[in-house]
Amino acid sequence: MANKLCMTVMSGSIDRLTGMAILASGAVAMDMEVEIFLQLWGVYAFKKDVIKENMNLSEFQEKGEMVAKRLQELKLPMWYEILKEAKETGNVKIYACSTASAIWDVKKEDLEMVDEIIGAGEWIDKSKEAAISLFI
Amino acid sequence: MAELSAEELKNLKADKVVDARGTSCPGPLLAAKRAIAEVPVGGVMEVLSSDPGTKRDLPLWARKMGHEYLGTIEEAGYWRIFVKRGK
Repeated sequence: MANKLCMTVMSGSIDRLTGMAILASGAVAMDMEVEIFLQLWGVYAFKKDVIKENMNLSEFQEKGEMVAKRLQELKLPMWYEILKEAKETGNVKIYACSTASAIWDVKKEDLEMVDEIIGAGEWIDKSKEAAISLFI
Repeated sequence: MAELSAEELKNLKADKVVDARGTSCPGPLLAAKRAIAEVPVGGVMEVLSSDPGTKRDLPLWARKMGHEYLGTIEEAGYWRIFVKRGK
C-alpha cells in the first residue's frame, strides 16, 4: 500500500473543491503523496478562464454569501490557493480525464495546475495502490 | 523522553518559533512542516496556533515524522506547541 491519497474529483463546486484542497494540504503536511483525477465538472473548474470566476456551490446555495463573508473574516485562502500551496510544498499531481477534456475542448495548457491528461484505466491503476481513496 | 511539565515548557528556549496564528487548518501544520527543516536535529520548534485542530494534529505529525512532541501551553486564544526535531 502506497503512502498516497487519491481523490477523484467530479464536482466543480467551490464548497467541495475547498474540502478537497484542505485534505490535499493535510495529506502533504502528513508527508503523503497526493494524486487528483478531475472528471467532468472538476476539469471545468480548473479551466484558466473559470477557476477564479467560479462561485458555484453544491449545497445550501442560500448560505453562499454568509460562507463567503466568513471565509474572508477567517482569512481562509481560496481553494485554488490552498491547493497551489500544497503543490508547492509537497508531491501533488493533478490529472484531467481525457474524455472530459474533449468535452470542454481543452489541452493541458488551458488548465491551471494540471500535470497530465490521462484515461480512466491509468487512473484506476494509479489509485488502486493508494492508502486513501476518495470521490469528491 | 516523556512530555515536559508546563513549568519546563515555559522555561524552554525554542530554536525556531513559527507564528501561524490566524491561519486555518491545515495551514499551521504546513507551516510547521516547512519550518522544521530550519531547526537543527535535537533542536526545539515552537508553533503558535489559534486553530484548535492543530494542537491535536501536531503531536500526530511529530510522531509520524520521527520528531518528539514535548507538550502544549494554552494561552488566551492560542496554543504554544513544542516539538523537538528527531531526524
